[in-house]
Amino acid sequence: MSDIAISTDKLTKRFGKFTAVDEISFEIPYGSIFGFLGANGAGKSTTIRMLCGILAPTSGNGKVGGFDVQTQPEQIKTVIGYVSQRFSLYSDLNVVENLTFYGQIYGLEGALLHNRIKEVLKLTGLDRFPQRLSGELSGGWKQKLAIANAILHKPKIIFLDEPTAGLDPLSRRAIWELLYQLAEGGTSLFVTTHYMEEAERCNTIAFISDGKLLKIGQPTALRQELRGQILEVTCQPLMKASHLFLTLEGVRGVTVYGTTLNLNVTDEKAVEARVKETAGREGITISSIKPIAASLEDVFSDLDTKKGSTDA
Amino acid sequence: MRNIWAIACKEFIHVIRDRRTLGLLILMPMMQLMIYGYGINTDVKHLPVYLYDQDKTYLSRRLVDAFTQSDYFAVKVQATSLQQAYKALDSGAAQSVLIIPPNFTGDLLKKKGAQVQMIIDGTDSTPATVALNSSQAIVNAFMQNEGLIPIQVLPIDFRPRLWYNPDLKSTYFMLPGLIALVLQFLVPMITASAIVREKESGNIEQLLVTPIKPYELILGKIIPYLFIGAVISISIIATMHYLFVVPIKGSIVTLFFLTLLYLIVCLGIGLWASTVADNQQQAAQLVMLLAMPSILLSGFIFPRESMPLLVRDISCVIPMTYFLKIVRGIILKGMSFYDLLDQVWPLLLMAVVVIVFSIRRFSKRMA
Repeated sequence: MSDIAISTDKLTKRFGKFTAVDEISFEIPYGSIFGFLGANGAGKSTTIRMLCGILAPTSGNGKVGGFDVQTQPEQIKTVIGYVSQRFSLYSDLNVVENLTFYGQIYGLEGALLHNRIKEVLKLTGLDRFPQRLSGELSGGWKQKLAIANAILHKPKIIFLDEPTAGLDPLSRRAIWELLYQLAEGGTSLFVTTHYMEEAERCNTIAFISDGKLLKIGQPTALRQELRGQILEVTCQPLMKASHLFLTLEGVRGVTVYGTTLNLNVTDEKAVEARVKETAGREGITISSIKPIAASLEDVFSDLDTKKGSTDA
Repeated sequence: MRNIWAIACKEFIHVIRDRRTLGLLILMPMMQLMIYGYGINTDVKHLPVYLYDQDKTYLSRRLVDAFTQSDYFAVKVQATSLQQAYKALDSGAAQSVLIIPPNFTGDLLKKKGAQVQMIIDGTDSTPATVALNSSQAIVNAFMQNEGLIPIQVLPIDFRPRLWYNPDLKSTYFMLPGLIALVLQFLVPMITASAIVREKESGNIEQLLVTPIKPYELILGKIIPYLFIGAVISISIIATMHYLFVVPIKGSIVTLFFLTLLYLIVCLGIGLWASTVADNQQQAAQLVMLLAMPSILLSGFIFPRESMPLLVRDISCVIPMTYFLKIVRGIILKGMSFYDLLDQVWPLLLMAVVVIVFSIRRFSKRMA
């Protein structure tokens, strides 16, 4: 068995004239967490559905767990786990009943099923209320149940479509701890998320926008690429400054953070001079200006602006 | 096979946990049984009659007695005026008015030809026809009994007899038909909502990423409702037989297996509705839309023989039309499977068509 869990080659999905996923290619090794980032409607869920074998690609190819996306969707389903965006277990069945049902569907039975349910209950902490109706669980526990359900049959690859959406920070952290444990066990996790600080937790991240893969790499490496390209400016009045600085030569983008502006620039020395000069002329008071390390959000907005300029 | 069983078990839990559906499953058949068994009685009896007897003689009272003694009429009130009697007819207090003129006995004795008038409320044709025919018969019998006309020896001795339901009890006719009605309503409804519910709540997405096959999913969903349908049918038949004392002339086994066949058709209709509808409400409306013409056109209440040809053709594609003949045939007439072949094969055809069609539509959606 190769150590590549998921690979795609120019994977494409069109719905009529609309191209939801456009020639995406990447490789994910076993035991890693792959973060799939992008705005709503960027094509994240469509990609997941193709990789899970429930949506046929229009063209291109993909392999999941060694099986072909185009020709072996049913085999793929036996080796993957899936946690959907919406809670999609049965709310009128209790925790153990849900797990038993899905366990049976995945071919587990008898003592094997019983023990496996015990294991996942313990792992997720759901052994505190095995008899509770799943509809009565809180959001975080529902998600844990969904994950417990997805790992019952010990899949080598798990797809999680926004597993932490709408959860409070504590629940989100608990979910991520669970994901780390799974990755350590050699499972490959394919996670989509909106949260940038969650993206930092992934081994590899990929940005997708309008169905195109914009960037792929390790979070630190991606931030490194923007080194010397982010200026943090603390100034007053903020909004006026933000509009003015955006028109300056060498400024690719401006992001507002509370009382500061992050300027995405091509050459920090030259721009710093221009910023100071403009501020003096327009009556903007600058209390501090300094180059800082890029965050993933900067990387994301940088990619977005670059894409905008190539589109035009 | 194991997957089918897993789905079936899960489906049973859904039904048991869902109080509303469970209530519907138990209450609706029982309510219908009570309504049709006790409430609705199409046997016309004890029609209220206002009497305006101006003669008040021995003979006129004998005539009135003849009416009273028949089960068809109940002489309620001695009207004191014609106006009072007409008013009663207008208000519906009386179904008919019997008017005997003052010189009734006198004319009879003089052999002048006496006159008696019966005014019948013709609004509702069923009791009106009964009143018309039975009053005629009562008066004829009266004339013979009183020796007013000679007892005749007719050239043809015509003896009509009623078979299968000699007392013309409407429960005999209605209650077996009720099995068809209840199954037609309930089974497609619960089947459709069972599948649509999964779509609505997003459960289907989770199921699709499992290695389960479409036919396993559909069969697993059908089995519990087939079972529930069978239990409902048995309980209706038992109540009908033991509480309302409707005799079952034919074979219970044939009845059971042909009921299963009809159940499969009903399940298929539910499956089809579930592939069309996006939510449970739409599914319920679709099922109702199909159930209404079934009740009216299948011969459940109105005889198909009196329907216009076009409508009768339409009723040929309604499964209930055939099943009604089957249940009534087996229960009331003791018909055998072979006697009913003409009803069985259309049902079989419908079952195959609707199930195959639904599974194919369903698999398409999974892609």
